[in-house]
Amino acid sequence: MASADEVLAALRDITDPEWPVSIVDMGLVCGVAVEDGVARITLTFTSTACPCMDMIRDDVRDRVLRVPGVRDVVFATTWDPVWSKERLSEAARAQFRRWGVAV
Amino acid sequence: MTTPSDDQIVERIQQGHILETPAEMSDDYRRTLIHILTVSADTEMISAPSYYTAAKNSPSMNNLISALAIIQDELSHAHIGYRILQDLGVDTEALIYDRAPTAFKHPYAFDVPLRSWVELIVANAFYDRAGFVLLGDVYRHCSYGPWRRALAKVDKEENFHLRHGENGMRRLAAGGQRDEVQRAIDWMFPMTVEWFGLPDSLKTHGRQIAYKLKGSTNDQLRQQWLQTAVPLCEGLGFRVPAHLDQAIGVYVLEYPLPVEFDEAERRWLMDRPITWEQVLLRWKRRGPGNAMFVDMLQRGRRQMRALAGRRH
Repeated sequence: MASADEVLAALRDITDPEWPVSIVDMGLVCGVAVEDGVARITLTFTSTACPCMDMIRDDVRDRVLRVPGVRDVVFATTWDPVWSKERLSEAARAQFRRWGVAV
Repeated sequence: MTTPSDDQIVERIQQGHILETPAEMSDDYRRTLIHILTVSADTEMISAPSYYTAAKNSPSMNNLISALAIIQDELSHAHIGYRILQDLGVDTEALIYDRAPTAFKHPYAFDVPLRSWVELIVANAFYDRAGFVLLGDVYRHCSYGPWRRALAKVDKEENFHLRHGENGMRRLAAGGQRDEVQRAIDWMFPMTVEWFGLPDSLKTHGRQIAYKLKGSTNDQLRQQWLQTAVPLCEGLGFRVPAHLDQAIGVYVLEYPLPVEFDEAERRWLMDRPITWEQVLLRWKRRGPGNAMFVDMLQRGRRQMRALAGRRH
């Protein structure tokens, strides 16, 4: 049986389609639960008009379905909390600074 | 400060010097930079009305948001290019709003209107990949600091565009729209191959490479594009008129470049080789969407000028 931690670890492999930063470090992952092989993943996005929502969900579904014990992925989108730069992890900040992006 | 000679400029650039102001440029360097920037900015600019026209066929709200975001990126990239042209003394008001449609310098590919969501997806996968290859080359080599720095962000955004194309093609391939995708590939693949221009045997790059305003030759850039475009299509089971020649490790075309293009049918006549002079004539004449797309960009400005004129 897959655990939420295993799913969360898999999510670290998924990067933002624009910047090669993990969606976990980007602060987009707001909740992970696994029940009867169904991974329930709650995501937020940097804006309500985020052009990458479908792309990110596609990438997540492909990756999480490869976690042993997961047979389905169900998504929820939340806008509370509102995404801001505060949600970036220290690792993401370091990466952005290296690319010359102010965070 | 006296204007440096061309040889001095080339020597300093070869030593790794980055130019920061027009005062450091020779006339020829400045002219060459203006030409390359105009091609680049015009290309970004014209892709907006081209993609916008196609985006009206978006099959979902999410798809429309993605398409509009890409268009917004393209306009901002154009804005960066024209803004830098202003610093070089170019009258961009006239350049953008008073130029005849046929005087724009974007590739011919954007003069051929996209007719469906599928074609927009393939354009993201092919045309934005060409943009990514060409701008990536400038980004890595460019000797003009202001442009080089601006391209750091542009590069990342173009990467998103071509990923949008790749993901889209994957979805369409899995979703039963294979024939429609193949039809789009059939005319858009050779279109992008032609985009990279004259082969090195015929092209004189002038000082573009010595000035480090371009790092690679046309054939090298075309090869870079093929290196990712061909595996993408083959991996999804689509046919393309090119393959990897294992013996030499180079992608080769399966038709004689260049060949005739039937504009009305949007079909390449693979058994009708033509000369590059004939291609250049077609490019100069411009394609079927040229006047319409440029009008979409200029119309509002003309209306606003007319209103302002009436008040005086």
